Amino acid sequence: MFGNRIKIDDELFEKIKQCAAKAGYASPEEFIQHVLEKEVARLSGGDAPRDPEEEVKKRLQGLGYIE
Amino acid sequence: MFLLLLLAVAISCGLGRSPVSKKLLVIGIDGMDPQLLERFMAAGKMPNFSALAARGGFTRLTTSIPPQSPVAWSNLITGMDPGGHGIFDFIHRDPATLAPYLSTSRVEPPRFSLPLGSWRLPLSSGATVLLRHGKSFWEILDEHGVPSVIYRMPANFPPVKTRARTFSGMGTPDLLGTYGTFSFYTDDLFVAAGAVNGGRVFPVTLEGGRVQAKLYGPYNTLRKGEPQASLDFTVFVDPAEPVAKIVLPDSETILREGEWSPWLRVEFELLPVLSNVRGICRFYLKEVHPGFKLYVSPVNLDPADPALPLSTPESYSRELAGELGPFHTLGIAEDTKALSGGYLNDEEYLQQARLVLEEQLRAFDLELSRFRSGLLFFYFSSLDLNSHMFWRALDERHPAGNVQLAEQHATVLEQLYVEMDRALGKALARLDDRTTLLVLSDHGFAPFLRSFNLNAWLQQKGYLALQEGASPGIGSAAGDFFKNVDWSRSRAYGLGLNGLYLNLSGREKQGIVHSGAEADALIAALTRELLAVRDPASALPAITRVDRAAQAYSGPYAAQAPELLIGYNRGYRAGWGTVLGGISAEVFEDNLDPWSGDHCMDFTLVPGVLLSNRKLAASAPSLTDIAPTILLEFGVAKPSQMKGASVFEKSP
Repeated sequence: MFGNRIKIDDELFEKIKQCAAKAGYASPEEFIQHVLEKEVARLSGGDAPRDPEEEVKKRLQGLGYIE
Repeated sequence: MFLLLLLAVAISCGLGRSPVSKKLLVIGIDGMDPQLLERFMAAGKMPNFSALAARGGFTRLTTSIPPQSPVAWSNLITGMDPGGHGIFDFIHRDPATLAPYLSTSRVEPPRFSLPLGSWRLPLSSGATVLLRHGKSFWEILDEHGVPSVIYRMPANFPPVKTRARTFSGMGTPDLLGTYGTFSFYTDDLFVAAGAVNGGRVFPVTLEGGRVQAKLYGPYNTLRKGEPQASLDFTVFVDPAEPVAKIVLPDSETILREGEWSPWLRVEFELLPVLSNVRGICRFYLKEVHPGFKLYVSPVNLDPADPALPLSTPESYSRELAGELGPFHTLGIAEDTKALSGGYLNDEEYLQQARLVLEEQLRAFDLELSRFRSGLLFFYFSSLDLNSHMFWRALDERHPAGNVQLAEQHATVLEQLYVEMDRALGKALARLDDRTTLLVLSDHGFAPFLRSFNLNAWLQQKGYLALQEGASPGIGSAAGDFFKNVDWSRSRAYGLGLNGLYLNLSGREKQGIVHSGAEADALIAALTRELLAVRDPASALPAITRVDRAAQAYSGPYAAQAPELLIGYNRGYRAGWGTVLGGISAEVFEDNLDPWSGDHCMDFTLVPGVLLSNRKLAASAPSLTDIAPTILLEFGVAKPSQMKGASVFEKSP
């Protein structure tokens, strides 16, 4: 009912609240959930979300001439 | 009699081919360097090249500005400079957005689709478009009834429509639409997971003697959200022996540690029952115990059933697959990024590069054995890619080299040159008195010791401005795509390997430089200052030549070129990050990457080679002379837009 709880440093949580409000998230929880989902997807090597800039870079990297 | 009459009508209407008795064999060896060739010839390692040089001729072949393969081969294909064919660099940009893209081709999605639940059904077909302009020499030969076989010509994907038999080369993507994305599976927690340069790393766990994993295919544009298509596979690991069995949905293979699988076919479902795409890949079992490491090559388009057009006619690709079995179709098949990232070591990369060469040699034997008339053009990639990767073993000054590397791999390039000599020997054995032979390369090679970060230099000199509070990055933190640039105060930017563009008003979205006197003065100042740049580590000039596109190019596309083409000194090249708009803190850096040789520099410093069994008469032949030479060999006059002349005729 209460879900999982994770302890976050007060100072960091203040920054998260500010960032969430600035970026238009409904709540700090929504922001945290979104950021963690992205990071988990990246680290688990799962289905990569489409990012136009990253996609261009990935397309070109195989040429060998760029990093 | 009626049949004979019908045949005669068909030939006169151009439906058939008149017999052509003349034969022209052109062997294109990407990156063959005249200095190395001379060194190996002098050492007696290249008897066939020496014999050819003595019989006909051997000279340097002036390369393109800039000397990059897509530009150089487009010069050769069309007989025009980049102003005529529109390819200025590996990488171009959209002036409105500054988004970079591969210069030679573009994939366009279907224009209309019908949403249906979680699916999106295409109502029109997408298209792959070749961005190179100008008519190729084989199209002109085709119009004159001369048959051609063109094998893996760069900058010809998708292959132009023609009756010639052509197979696409550099510029051909993998099944994911990239220019090569490998997959690497490991249970090593210290290997960073996720997207890496040229590939993706997947963390896996070994449980109950098996590893479950997914191999990813193309983004599925037929589904909402365009998820990446994937298939599941299982690796069964022997508990004691360094052996594993890889089980895919339609095949399985057993590998020992350090062994490559044969090509395996994989199929990705895009729309149940209705739409699947097929590809081929090879697995390399790098380590079984104590850790698990499995490399999977980029998923190549299957030549037996290509998801994108690979050949003309379409049946040529299937026919080659039937004769040769599956083979690399990816434009740049040698997986240099897997070596640069450490996912394959030097030995493992060389094994993969040799597999590519062996396939090319088999295809060469096949085409040579059935070459009866007309033109055969055949392309070899090995010298180029391996000169990029193993120059560090040749040059003791290289920051990425060391004694051990030199001891183990100093002769890698020599061995590959010798392989080219053997291939030439096969061709020479088949030469008859009606065959002309040309052996050529698009450019030579030089060390890549130091990076010059053009955008960092522009920023430090005040030509490129960052937003308030932003600062240049370091290494990979340098950012791409001109992150944090204040375009309202920026007058110039570097993009691609040799391009420098002005931020022109009316062209770039936030352009501030006015064409005419202001642009001319800026170009003059930039040229003067760039030529004065000295490397603080050696006091050597980093740039020995700056060409202005308006003077170097002619033709309808000259205005799309970068204003300036930067010609780096031997030993120097554009920095890794600056190519895609990264702005780093340092202007100069040591190049520590295994990618240690390069040619994207002052074109006068890296000419290619030209050899023939006939006397070469031109005093300073260049790549744009090759198309007119080929046409004239078959008695076809060159079109007016071609710049050059036959290399067998004296220069005026």
